[in-house]
Amino acid sequence: MTLWEMKAKQQALIHSLSAKLSPAVAGRLHEMGFNAGQAILCLRRSPLRGPLVVQVGDCVYSLEQEVAQAVLLEQSAAS
Amino acid sequence: MKRIILVGKPNSGKSLLFNQLTGLRQKVANFPGVTVELKSGQFEDLEVIDFPGTYSLHSLSRDEEIAIDKLGEAVHDQQTSLVVCVLDATRLERSLVFALQAQALARKNNKSVVFVLNMIDEVHRYGESIDTEKLAAELGGPVYALSAKTLEGVAAFKQALSELGQQPPAIQQLDIDADDDQQLVQRAQSLSKRFGMKADLVLKSQNRIDKFMLNNVLGGVAFLAIMFFLFQSIFTWATPLMDGVEFLLAELAHVITSFTGEGIITDFLNDAIFGGIGSFLVFVPQIMVLTLIIGILEDSGYLARAALICHKPLSFFGLSGRSFIPYLSGHACAIPAIMAARTIESPRKRLITMMTIPLMSCSARLPVYALLVAVLIPENATFLGIFNLQGAAFFGLYLFGICMALIVSLVLNVFTKKDENLTDMPFILELPSYRLPHWKPLIHRVWNSGMQFIKRAAPIIFMVSLGIWVLGYFPVGADLEHSLLGKIGHIIEPIFAPLGLDWRYGVAILMSFLAREVFVGALGTLFGIAGADENISGLAANIQADGLSLGSGIGLLLFYVVALQCVATVAVLKGETGKSSIAWGLYAAYGILAYIIGVTAAQLIGV
Ligand SMILES: Nc1nc2c(ncn2[C@@H]2O[C@H](COP(=O)(O)OP(=O)(O)OP(=O)(O)O)[C@@H](O)[C@H]2O)c(=O)[nH]1
Ligand SMILES: [Mg+2]
Repeated sequence: MTLWEMKAKQQALIHSLSAKLSPAVAGRLHEMGFNAGQAILCLRRSPLRGPLVVQVGDCVYSLEQEVAQAVLLEQSAAS
Repeated sequence: MKRIILVGKPNSGKSLLFNQLTGLRQKVANFPGVTVELKSGQFEDLEVIDFPGTYSLHSLSRDEEIAIDKLGEAVHDQQTSLVVCVLDATRLERSLVFALQAQALARKNNKSVVFVLNMIDEVHRYGESIDTEKLAAELGGPVYALSAKTLEGVAAFKQALSELGQQPPAIQQLDIDADDDQQLVQRAQSLSKRFGMKADLVLKSQNRIDKFMLNNVLGGVAFLAIMFFLFQSIFTWATPLMDGVEFLLAELAHVITSFTGEGIITDFLNDAIFGGIGSFLVFVPQIMVLTLIIGILEDSGYLARAALICHKPLSFFGLSGRSFIPYLSGHACAIPAIMAARTIESPRKRLITMMTIPLMSCSARLPVYALLVAVLIPENATFLGIFNLQGAAFFGLYLFGICMALIVSLVLNVFTKKDENLTDMPFILELPSYRLPHWKPLIHRVWNSGMQFIKRAAPIIFMVSLGIWVLGYFPVGADLEHSLLGKIGHIIEPIFAPLGLDWRYGVAILMSFLAREVFVGALGTLFGIAGADENISGLAANIQADGLSLGSGIGLLLFYVVALQCVATVAVLKGETGKSSIAWGLYAAYGILAYIIGVTAAQLIGV
């Protein structure tokens, strides 16, 4: 499952970042807190496949589909 | 002189702290990526440099790379004696990732580091505190908790700084491998767990507001309402202030000309000074109101949300959600807006944004809009019974500019080739906490915007008014039609005939290619000479009496929405795109497009 498939208010653990991401973007995501094992909370989804809003650690980020699809989650997502 | 540098994560308050240290007025706003260029100032006998915020020392975009390279140079430089890492105490983990990287870089260059825990006022507001001594021991460098906003702890930090700047603290060894980013991130995490506040506290209040602001339905309504309010208020709030300025100028003109008596001096004062410069001073309050509202929005934290809401719609036009912020500030002035486009990660979207920013109705267009709207639309007319029709017309003009920008973006997006070397960076944006605007810098900024506007435009308007007046006044005795200016004007008249405008407008329009505000001043002088002794401040009334058809008026307005009549903008475009062909190409292209749109509108409505 990827971050993009999360529903609002759902929580999950990050598994890894897709290898398809360019190293620069992947590095940035790591520094922003998207690390394996990190808990991630989907705060909301926007209409028309717009960017979603997630909480990671002490920050809230907005990510567009392209990046969100490259964040892989551990299978069991709890709501 | 020894130098200290301020570095840290975006939006951690570096610029506000820099302002407090140096007494300068760097732009401060509540979204990541405000500062885009190094700024140097002085604190006692130390040089202080404010850096653009970065999340890491690994760059994503070319501009980030430049900023990071500059940081590397600065840290390496002999003169630099101290690196000050500014951390957002409410977001310790994220701040620490960068701070630890910066510390490692500093150590490699044999420089010492101090840490500033900024925004400590917010930590205290949530009833928490941070053990700075233990944290200092862990980090191996002094830690100062302070608030650049409430000034709590700033005095102590200043005192420490004047000593540390001269005599940097010893460099302590670290127990982690600084080159391993994985380790660094983990360390930041464990430190923030130990020392930071419970993340939920800050985020909960932020998320509560977002529940409304980002709601699928209400959020959209709120967005439109805020934008409408912004543009409507430029008109409605400023009106009483403008009337005040107009009244004062009229009184002043009356008093002064009563001393000079009849003759050429009085004529000159009335026509060129009060008619020319005066008729543009009237619009300064509007510019200040606009700056105030944009300032409140920028400092509230809402703009990052607006960028998020706009991302999808803007992508359709080949832009990014991040284009929203430069677009909005382009309504005050295109120059800082074009600079602000640097925060757009994707080079292609950044270029398209920069090229279309000049279509945003900047404050220099306000005098032209206000004058022509006042001429064309009766003051008390309403729209749908509640909205002032003049206000609605203003809104329409702004909207027209935005629509033009979107259309041009779409065209540019389709017709320019994707450059394979420029990899497109995705949209990732941090949403900052909501904050009440900080009033002191805001007031200062509002005042400054008015003064800057006068300083920039007054000399050129003075020169143009003077030139027009001299050419229009002589030979003495001849009326305006037969003056030197009239003779020149008649030569260019055919160009503006399709707009239904006579040579006087033609002269004013041509002069406004120097700077668009000149239009009002030039027209003021021309009507001043023509109507020797009537009320000088009521330019709109003079034009009304003279007659301006609706078609010509609307054509003229649309012309001014589109035309890029600002040499300073061309210079910045040249600097930021690196190509003078783009800059001057746009100057010409928007001029021609403006003429075509203006003529089309005038002909359709009828002149
Ligand atoms: N409550 C509080 N707010 C602060 C403090 N310091 C800064 N701010 C606010 O935080 C926001 C960001 O401040 P800036 O100084 O622009 O941040 P910056 O680090 O220069 O940001 P970039 O230039 O984008 O890297 C502004 O809205 C400030 O008013 C503080 O100590 N307390
Ligand atoms: Mg700054």
